[in-house]
Amino acid sequence: MKKFVINLLKILGITYVILFIVFFFDLDGKLLYYLWEPNAVMHYDRMKRKDNTLTPYGKKDNVMPDSEVKAKKIG
Amino acid sequence: MKKFSITGFLDQFVGVQAGKKIAKDVKTGELHEKREALHEEIEEKKAGFDIKKAAKDFWYGKPHGERRLGDLYIGNTGLYKHREWRGVKDTMYYFNCIWLYNYLNMGLDIFKGDEPLAFFKGVWRYRWMGQTYLSVMHWFDRGLEGLRGEALKASAWHYRAMVSETIRQFMRMFAADTKLHLDEKNEYWHKTIAHDETVSGNIFYPWRDVLDDVPLQMIPYFVSCHVNNKTVLNYIDAMQSIGLPADPCPMCQAESGIFVLDDYPDYSPVMVTSNEACDGSVATSIITDWFLDRPLFAMPQPMRFDDPLVQKHCQEEIEQCWKFIEKEYGIPFDFEQYKKYAESFNKLTEFEHEKWDVAANTPYYPINSVAQALYRIYYSQDGDREIWHKTDAHVKKIMDKCVEKKIETFPMTRHRAIAWSCAPLYYSNWCTWAYNCWGINTIINMDSLMFDQMLRTDTYEHALEDLATFNELAPMRSMAVGGHEHIFQLWKYMEQFNCDFVIMYDQLQCKGMQGIKGMFEDEFRKRNIHAIWVPHALPDKRTVSRKEIRSIINDYMITVMREEPLDPSLLDFDDDESW
Ligand code: SF4
Repeated sequence: MKKFVINLLKILGITYVILFIVFFFDLDGKLLYYLWEPNAVMHYDRMKRKDNTLTPYGKKDNVMPDSEVKAKKIG
Repeated sequence: MKKFSITGFLDQFVGVQAGKKIAKDVKTGELHEKREALHEEIEEKKAGFDIKKAAKDFWYGKPHGERRLGDLYIGNTGLYKHREWRGVKDTMYYFNCIWLYNYLNMGLDIFKGDEPLAFFKGVWRYRWMGQTYLSVMHWFDRGLEGLRGEALKASAWHYRAMVSETIRQFMRMFAADTKLHLDEKNEYWHKTIAHDETVSGNIFYPWRDVLDDVPLQMIPYFVSCHVNNKTVLNYIDAMQSIGLPADPCPMCQAESGIFVLDDYPDYSPVMVTSNEACDGSVATSIITDWFLDRPLFAMPQPMRFDDPLVQKHCQEEIEQCWKFIEKEYGIPFDFEQYKKYAESFNKLTEFEHEKWDVAANTPYYPINSVAQALYRIYYSQDGDREIWHKTDAHVKKIMDKCVEKKIETFPMTRHRAIAWSCAPLYYSNWCTWAYNCWGINTIINMDSLMFDQMLRTDTYEHALEDLATFNELAPMRSMAVGGHEHIFQLWKYMEQFNCDFVIMYDQLQCKGMQGIKGMFEDEFRKRNIHAIWVPHALPDKRTVSRKEIRSIINDYMITVMREEPLDPSLLDFDDDESW
């Protein structure tokens, strides 16, 4: 048990130090900037998208007749 | 945007390029000269080295004038060679309580969301999500640069709250989104109200316990501009690609461009829009109506609202909107729910007034300008949420401590500035830079002063009246395009906040503010006020770069004010390719 706790503390200690190095040298920023972002952009640029400009104008029905809107009471 | 290449990436990390350069320098004999120069430099440093001073700098961090924050940047990327050493206490606070704490909580917030797995689908599906969200800690870094002690703590809590609420919003959108659920309209979809980011969340309080309301453009457009300003350019270009000229307000362009690129989540059966961002420019509501193709209620906010008849009209429109929601969702209006949330929201406004009082009358205000502005506009637009109350409780403790112990939070303040008009979203942290470089401390800004309205709940009539006024005092509405009597409230607030300096934002594509520029010039001259015009194009950094904004402020400070910079390394640096 004691050994386990010591090992656990060691692992936590090492992880903490590694995280501090990542933080201090802005390695998270560098990874995202040089590796993640260019790949993500490539992915979004290549993505097939619906051509929304083909949506017809005025397809929608009148959702609520004006008479009904006026007749409603609130409060 | 640089293309990714494996070799380029390796060059950055294993120094292949550096190796090549050294080999070349050996051949040309340059290496020898460089070595000599380096020796000289080291000798000079040794001669001036003071171990006591170095230990003190390590423990407490360097004093303001010696920090040279500009030397920390890598090229024009905005990345840091290393993050700032703020002394042991503040560096460890930043590492543990800001960096680690926020990364951890960002993960936890996702798992608290309605459907955690939808996060990954959202990252894959939406550009504004995948390109922006992960770089959020750099947004903290930029806004909190140079801060120490209580100012660092209080400002960081504001950022934390905004991130948490952002995650709540996008997790709800993703949980309901038909595009992430094979076109299925699930229960979340049926129970979410979509609205323009400029329609106040307060409008939907009567249904807050049974429905959720999520502004459509708040995350895809507004937040993304601040965190990673590259994403929004795609939407602006998309809108122009279908024929819109380039000169209308780019906010309206970007909000509409999201639809052109089919990059909006479909998470609600309805849409409530406003005429803000200004419909005069792009007719955003009409474009939204076309693309969304579903029941839509347009609730424009009047521009000239002082007329009592206009007030009446505004109240009627809010009532119509309530009827629309009742009809579409089949859930009756509940005034008790409205009262509960409006009263809770009033507590946020009360604390805001307390903050203003400390900011206006003491040097102990612990929130820096960018945190103040973004937090205020975010929560007052969003409406009552638990996270704002939690944050205010943290900040109140810090602020009370500063006042009690008389802690001067921005000790290098040379000028108390007020920032007026619509701010550059891609450079909202310019004020952090201005304090670090010149000691210009932006005490308050126009965006913070809008929505200054308590919501009465004693009767339905009072509630409606106040809600209508709140709506009229919306961002950019009253003080940007609401007529000169509101725009000129600047003078009143300058006095109230004890400011001696104006940073006058000059949104080049804002027809409202451009029209009144000459009147401001006259007034500044007449009142003998120092004012710096800061041109920008809201979300579009290509029109006026951040570097240009800095150089305009530098020019004024050097030639007109005849002052020396506090940190000369911040005068001139590139950050065009940064987030
Ligand atoms: S007030 Fe100006 S900056 Fe704001 S949305 Fe309208 S045109 Fe754009």
